[in-house]
Formats: sequence, structure tokens, C-alpha cells
Amino acid sequence: MLWATRAASYLRISVVHRGFSTVLKDLKYADSHEWVKVNGTAATIGITDHAQDHLGDVVYVELPEVGASVKQGDSFGAVESVKATSDVNSPVSGKVVEVNEELSNSPALVNSSPYKDGWIIKVEMNDSGELKNLMDSEEYSKFCEEEDSKH
Amino acid sequence: MRGPLKLEVWKMGFVNYLEALKLQEKLVSDRKLCRIPDTLLSLQHPPTYTLGKRRTDHNLLIPESELKNIGAELHYTQRGGDITFHGPHQAILYPIISLREMGLGARNYVEKLESTMIELSSLYGVKACAGKKCETGVWVGERKIGAIGVRISSGITSHGLAFNIDPELEYFKHIVPCGITDKEVTSLRRETSTALPSEEVIQEQLISCFARLFGYNTVVQKENPSILSDHEEIA
Repeated sequence: MLWATRAASYLRISVVHRGFSTVLKDLKYADSHEWVKVNGTAATIGITDHAQDHLGDVVYVELPEVGASVKQGDSFGAVESVKATSDVNSPVSGKVVEVNEELSNSPALVNSSPYKDGWIIKVEMNDSGELKNLMDSEEYSKFCEEEDSKH
Repeated sequence: MRGPLKLEVWKMGFVNYLEALKLQEKLVSDRKLCRIPDTLLSLQHPPTYTLGKRRTDHNLLIPESELKNIGAELHYTQRGGDITFHGPHQAILYPIISLREMGLGARNYVEKLESTMIELSSLYGVKACAGKKCETGVWVGERKIGAIGVRISSGITSHGLAFNIDPELEYFKHIVPCGITDKEVTSLRRETSTALPSEEVIQEQLISCFARLFGYNTVVQKENPSILSDHEEIA
């Protein structure tokens, strides 16, 4: 267990012991369960492990057009699972520069690899200051625990 | 952990599909702003075919131009799920509730909607069960008795479930229901040997099953529910 935790720290993965979903350390999180990875003004966005687990098997992903504007907290697309379409909201504002076309053929990537191959859009941010409105991995883990304990 | 949960029920009778859709959009917006509590619309539609976000209109087996001849409308929606039919004698529930406040995800929500219809069926001695993977809905053997199609926007639900009390099953022959070939559609009337009470009674029972499964401890009925909200005026 100690080895695993050390390895996890080295790889900068935070493994939540009590929860059942993975939360990654160097990402930021929205309370609607999207994550964002920031590199300068470039942002990669997807939904979290907690989100994909609560959604069920994703059968369809609605992607925005490249060039579309997104706004923090507003919907930019949707995923469908178990006959439910759920809006996906953007954690940051900016312009969509790339969308994950793979999801049109393999929507299940959102379930199997929510933080890597299941990324949904890439955005050129226009206001990095907005990032302070988001949660870090620890805050997000706690948030998920609180939400799950409601029922 | 969780405070008292209140549900407001609107018993609306017969409602045109588009009008119900507009009402739901308004209620979702109100619910998001916490202007209204969790709300449940109970109603029936005139003959209507609807499609989900994926627009699977290849599952409509007659030309759109023919629909008028059989007295039906067609609508494209943002809900999940495939093509389906709504009509008289089919009990519909549209819950406009905050999943975030309840701590429910899409999967659990849909499972509870399935359970609502399964419980109702059992009141009449009908053994229904949830669909297997990729076949969300409620089944009696290989026959589908209840359908689900939901939209979740900022954690607020709209659209919902449709339970076949005794609809005209011929209408289902013009579609591949829910995109699933080789499976029949059925109704409570067909599956039970028990005499059925009035549809109002059955719809009331459906509402009770819903309220109990979702843990509402206060259920109130809205006085004079109408398509127009309290804020709108009749010009």
C-alpha cells in the first residue's frame, strides 16, 4: 500500500481511499463534475470519473463546433447514457480550438478513460482569473463525498 | 442529513406535446433558480411520435407526410432515448426535480423511474423488470410496458416516463420502438387479469409510487395547474 501511494505521488495521481472514484491532483474541477487541465492559456476539458460512473454507459456525445465560444458554467454539449441526455458545462470561458472526434465513434471512451482518451474539448482561455472559481482535487474529493452521502 | 423533501404535483389531464414541452422549459428554469420546489407533471398526450437528441428518424417506418392521416404529430426533442409513441391511455410523468439536491446521478435516477413503473405493475399482479444493459425501460418478459427518456440540464430533470395503461398499440407498428427490433410493446390491460380501475386511479397510484421511491415526505397538489404560468397574462 505504501509503495502504491509513493508511486501514485510520483505519478501525481491522488488515490482517494474512502471514495470510489479517481481524482487527479493537478486538475481543476467544477461542481458540475467537469475537469480542466491548464497549460498556459490552453485548457483541456472532460468529465470526471465520478461523473462517468454516475452517468452509466455513454452511448453518444454531442460536441460543439470548433470556433464556438464557451462560457464558464454554461453548457457546451451533452452526453447520452441510459436514455438520459446530460448537459456538459465548461469550467472556463474561451474559444473551442479542438474537439475529440474519436468520441463520435467511441463514446465509451468517456467511461473507460475520463481523464485521458475521453477528453471532450480543448479551449483557448480568455480569462485565466476564472480558474480561482474552480475546486482543486482535495476540495473536489470532499465535494463528491458530500454529494454521495445525501441519499 | 437531508431536510424534508417536498413534491408539487400538477395533474394536467390531456395536454398537447409542444405545450407540455414549453411548460417544462419554463419549470426547469424556475427550478434552477429555486423559485419552485421539485415538481411532477402527470398527464396524457394526443397521438404523438417523438425523437430524442440523436434524431434516429430512420426508426420511423412511415413517411412523415402520412402521420397526419393517422392523426399523429412528430416532434424532435433534446431528451435521451430513441423514437417512441405517446397517446391516450398512456400515463406520463414528467418530473422536474433537482438531482443535485438529491445527490442522484443519471443512472440512479433512471433506475428509480424504472422502479416506479415496476412497482405500479406489481399492484396489478404484473411481474415487470428493468431492461438489461442498453435496454432502459420496463419489460414484462420480452414485451415493453414502460419507456423512459430524460433530459438533465444543470442537474434539473425534464421529460420522464411513459407507462402503457391501455394505449392503441397499433400506433407502435409505425416505428421501431426505442430502436429495438423484434420486441413487442404491451400494456397493463394486456398483462393483467385484474379488472382495471379508472385511469385517474392508476395515474394517482403511479404518482404515489414515484413519491415513495424518491423519498418525498410532503406531496402537495397544485391548484388549477395550467399551461400558462402564474406570471403570464392572457392577452
